[in-house]
Amino acid sequence: MRTWRWFSAFAVLALVLAACGTQTGASPSADVDEESEPPAVSEEPTDGEPVAGGTLVFAGARLAASLDPSQTSDGESFRILQQVYEPLVDLAIGSTNELVGVLAESWEGGPEDTVYVFNLREGVTFQDGTPLNAEAVKVNFDRWQSFPEEFSANAYYYGATMNGFGEGNLIASVEATDDLTVTITLTEPSPTFLFAITLPAFGIVSPAVLESTNADDPAESTFGTDASLGGTGPFILESYTPEEEATLVRNDDYWGTPAYLDRVIIRPIADPAARLQALQGGSVQGFDLVNPADYEAVVDDGFVLVERLSFNSLYLGVNPIAAETEGNPLAELAVREAVEYAIDKEALIEPFYGGRGAVADIFLPPSSGWYDAVVGGVEPRGFDQDRARELLAEAGFGPENPPEVGFWFPTEVTRPYMPDPAGLHAAVTQMLEDAGFVVVPGSDIWDSPGYLADAQNGLYDLHFLGWTGDYDDPSNWYGVHFGYDAEGAPAAQFGCDVEGLNEAIEAAEAELDETARGEAWAEVARIIHGEVCFITLVHGDTALAFTEEVQGYTANPTGSETFSTVWLSGE
Amino acid sequence: MGKFILRRILLLIPILLGLSVLIFLFIRLLPGDPAGAILGERATPENIERVRAALGLDRPLHEQYFEYLGGLLRGDLGQSFLTRRDVVDDFLQRFPATIELTAAALIFALSLGIPLGMITAKRRGSWVDQFGTVLSLVGISIPIFFLGLMLKYVFAIQFPILPDSGRIDFIEYAIPRVTRFMTVDALLAGEFGGFVDALRHLILPGIALGTIPLAIIMRITRASVVDVLNEDYVRTANAKGLPSGIVDTRHVLRNAMLPVVTVIGLQTGLLLGGAILTETIFGWGGVGTWIYDAVRTSDYQVIQSGVLLLAFIFVLVNLLVDVSYAFLNPRIRYS
Repeated sequence: MRTWRWFSAFAVLALVLAACGTQTGASPSADVDEESEPPAVSEEPTDGEPVAGGTLVFAGARLAASLDPSQTSDGESFRILQQVYEPLVDLAIGSTNELVGVLAESWEGGPEDTVYVFNLREGVTFQDGTPLNAEAVKVNFDRWQSFPEEFSANAYYYGATMNGFGEGNLIASVEATDDLTVTITLTEPSPTFLFAITLPAFGIVSPAVLESTNADDPAESTFGTDASLGGTGPFILESYTPEEEATLVRNDDYWGTPAYLDRVIIRPIADPAARLQALQGGSVQGFDLVNPADYEAVVDDGFVLVERLSFNSLYLGVNPIAAETEGNPLAELAVREAVEYAIDKEALIEPFYGGRGAVADIFLPPSSGWYDAVVGGVEPRGFDQDRARELLAEAGFGPENPPEVGFWFPTEVTRPYMPDPAGLHAAVTQMLEDAGFVVVPGSDIWDSPGYLADAQNGLYDLHFLGWTGDYDDPSNWYGVHFGYDAEGAPAAQFGCDVEGLNEAIEAAEAELDETARGEAWAEVARIIHGEVCFITLVHGDTALAFTEEVQGYTANPTGSETFSTVWLSGE
Repeated sequence: MGKFILRRILLLIPILLGLSVLIFLFIRLLPGDPAGAILGERATPENIERVRAALGLDRPLHEQYFEYLGGLLRGDLGQSFLTRRDVVDDFLQRFPATIELTAAALIFALSLGIPLGMITAKRRGSWVDQFGTVLSLVGISIPIFFLGLMLKYVFAIQFPILPDSGRIDFIEYAIPRVTRFMTVDALLAGEFGGFVDALRHLILPGIALGTIPLAIIMRITRASVVDVLNEDYVRTANAKGLPSGIVDTRHVLRNAMLPVVTVIGLQTGLLLGGAILTETIFGWGGVGTWIYDAVRTSDYQVIQSGVLLLAFIFVLVNLLVDVSYAFLNPRIRYS
């Protein structure tokens, strides 16, 4: 009896220890001095001529927040909806800033104009058979502008890019000048208007479908919940079962090059490890947001890793006037510079981003068309712990009198720019302590109120946050984060009130000439990085994984990606 | 009996009313804000204020509650802040998946748990009993997440004899959703292959989810059977020369089942409340992940109404358990 009891106890203990030790992949550690080659990546795999036919099952983290594109602002929703709905203009495949006409065959108007004329493509029909015409486009723009409160709450992109809703926003009027000509008049020139309307939230919907689904009635609308035939895109949303699947079928009446695949089925699998297992088990043929720790496993198993260049940036918020610390050492420029010199940004890429990413010298990622113009205004501070200690000494700090700083990170969240907040925090804390700082760690749950609210209200000395760009213009990066408010106060998150910064940002926002705009934002970057208002750390790439038979998927840093070029090689 | 059932159903009203107040207040005490969840990094103070106003969250609490209560009385359980889908529609779309998963877990747990409990009780003290003890301890101790991943790794990846996730092979079978029970819908569509495929998809998640109930049911059955085996009427039945099978089923099990049925009822209620870990690992779109996502994104309407719906079902299940006592033991009378 006693023997059996001991055996039972050991059996249970063994299982518990095995469970505690189980991980889905290697954990990045704070010890970052191992170097290895990142796993090989396929670049736009092409194996023979495209073949029509077949079904692709693809796993994302979630399905759509809504089937109404205007009510969505997240990548998982866009993944489905941008196959079905098309905007007037879009980004060229694989590009962050090259515009191509989609429903508009051509257009007149640019950053310096207030009047845009879009010449619609002839012969395009919505999937319900009704024709695309200027009146249909007007119906859509008018609908967005006049959203009731229940819809405007979720229509983030329209509100953010058109300066709100209703009369008085950026759009003065939308007219159907003739059957295939739409004239949009703005209240003022906008260098970002054309880029804004490339967003999937501005996909044009059939007015007949909007009417038949009561799309404008918050209580009665089924447009956001049920599959419909409202788009013009290469795929039709045939069925949608929340938490289960979204099935897209090829639109055989598509005006452009038809898609190769018969069907694309998108499944939601929230956990990255479970998505990888689904690929290994054969129930999906591709998935997005591979855990960086699994890059090697994906390649070793014979799958194809498709890299998506970063359109994001992880940064260390630096607030010299944070509410948490009196006599904050970060008030000294030398101390803030010391923080940046103390951090080995390059060493964060291998353990936390699977070796795929770039050091962030500026806020904009290298994939941005503005990168070269803006980076010229900044002198990067490379990793130099000796220089960090010198600067601390100049500021009156040293081993006997070390500077103490609070350093916060969020919990219960991962972001594309921040795959392991706790791990990154531990790594950077070690670097700061090696340089002579005393770090007081803090953490809070991501949601607002909580970490996000406290960070944005300027309560933290040092804190992690990041940004994924909405579109490729520096105003969406520096402008959004450092713009002063209507009362002339700087952004509370950074407490960065530098002489000339407000004027520089206003001048850059208003500059319409491309070259001058680049120079103006370079000046903004010079001021912000010169004063160490924040410290940009890493632009982390992300990746998708596919079976070898899946060909033709082109990733875009902005996430604007289509399945219409994808085909199955049958291997 | 009828009066008993009616009284229990009427009791639901004050129970759910009280729950609605508790949940309404409690979720507003939790950290998190729907506006922040909708906006993410774009949650500037101005944006948050705008979204909160649009969602009606800037009104006094009592106003918000009475509007919610009014909707409840009209049968309107509200709409999700994030998706604007009706909570009832979302629930009805997901609940059949949860019922199927719960049924699979219970079939696994009962078909093994009761016989094993019976066997270990009749052979208590033997190596069979000790083995059963280890099995039940392992079942209760093993983390579902670990078990689920290992089951997938062994039976879906290393030796691919079962599907790894989902409810059906989407490539092979396009089953129209009618009842939203995948097995039933496959039969309605005349796809017997799809029906079998749906059953195959239930095996691994059913085992993962059913392991803890299996362990509990086995231990309760064992304890209850041990008690009954010592009763005089069992000794008498054996002394009369009845076959052991008849004694076990007609006399022992039937009298031992009362506490077991209670546990089955509680376990069923818990499982129907959603198996978040199992659903996450196996990509199973049930109510567990629905409620979890709602809590994570502070989707108040879904939390309020979803939890009320689940509480309603839990109470109904336990009412069924209470009613079943009368059938198991005719001496029990309800008035």
